[in-house]
Amino acid sequence: MKLNRRDFMKISGVTAAGIAVSGLGFDLKPVKAHAGLLKTQYAKETTTICCYCAVGCGAIVHTSRRGDGRVINIEGDPDHVINRGSLCSKGSSLKQLVENDRRLTEPMYRAPFSDKWEKVSWEWALSTIAQRVKKTRDNSFEKINAARQVVNRTTRIASIGSAAMDNEECWIYQALMRSLGLVYIEHQARI
Amino acid sequence: MTKAILIDTTLCTACRACQVACKQWHDLPAEKTTNLGSFQNPQDLSDRTYKLVRMTETVIDNRLQWLFFPDQCRHCLDAPCLSMAVDKSAIYRDDMTGAILYTQNTRHLDPEEINVSCPYDIPRAGSDGTIAKCDFCNDRIHNGLKPACVTACPTGAMQFGDREDILSMADDRLKRVRKKFPGARLLNPDEVSVIYLVAFDPSLYSDYAVAQAHQGRGGISRSVAVRKMMGPIARMMHIG
Repeated sequence: MKLNRRDFMKISGVTAAGIAVSGLGFDLKPVKAHAGLLKTQYAKETTTICCYCAVGCGAIVHTSRRGDGRVINIEGDPDHVINRGSLCSKGSSLKQLVENDRRLTEPMYRAPFSDKWEKVSWEWALSTIAQRVKKTRDNSFEKINAARQVVNRTTRIASIGSAAMDNEECWIYQALMRSLGLVYIEHQARI
Repeated sequence: MTKAILIDTTLCTACRACQVACKQWHDLPAEKTTNLGSFQNPQDLSDRTYKLVRMTETVIDNRLQWLFFPDQCRHCLDAPCLSMAVDKSAIYRDDMTGAILYTQNTRHLDPEEINVSCPYDIPRAGSDGTIAKCDFCNDRIHNGLKPACVTACPTGAMQFGDREDILSMADDRLKRVRKKFPGARLLNPDEVSVIYLVAFDPSLYSDYAVAQAHQGRGGISRSVAVRKMMGPIARMMHIG
């Protein structure tokens, strides 16, 4: 059981001095401070926009100042005009995007007809993707259709994604897909 | 002035943001669960799930109602678990906020006894015997923040503030909600710091939505009953 993070238990004896400036108007003198330190007390705060859907809720990311810069907490930004501090269940779990031992940090490859994933290098993955896209696109490219209209397209490649891209990324992505001649461009949030 | 939370279940959409925000703030691990045909997940509170949105499908007046109940510790004004605990350092009350707080020393208490003492069936023991439950986000409150669950709530179903303000807010909400749901009521508002507003019979939401004499898992044992009677004396002797 993981209770080590519940620091307030361990530090329940600390004096109230540290939180006297909390602005709550409490008289802290007669009682011991039960929770003097927040886990985000000394963290660096950075604002961000939730990546999940088009609502665009604002969030605050608390990161450690002690070297590793890992994420300590992510919660809704009360000053953000869209969500005023609230988040949905997906937004509330944003921290798991980063602090997650199941997060993939290397590209994975499943060969045709294989039943397992294997780790591959970025270099191999990117050049293999490029080669295969080029090959499929060149082999399937239609300059004109049956009615002899100019179409300049490929119908053998489709793109699905991504809800996690921002406006600028979407522009670049669209430009690439259109220049290759893709017509099947869809967004997974709509499927 | 102690603090209070109002949970207006008529505004709850069961998005479970509160449930996830609670886990996130407390760094609690996920639970392995199975699909039992309900969106409620996990099925019950545990030492690592302090907050759980209970969901019930029921037919009321020939209409299907899907009832949502974000269950958590009520932080009773006069907490039975507190008087049940012999060790004062295991369970104590922060008189400033009204939070009932469990420490690591709860591992020396009898988990069954503490659980059974709770009229809302909240405390749960972990594998090492430490008993855990919602801590009212006492650390956040002391630092001028709202509890994590209240902060996350996107519909405004959960409100946090000074007890007096929350009580008058609860009365206002009740008046408005009663126009649509004549049977609406507040649950034990004079006894707890986490006040629920429900539209229908509270027993439909959860077996322990309102304070119940706890039957426990397998009934109250004789020793627990004796301890319940002797609790205050045992406590005095322990301190003395």
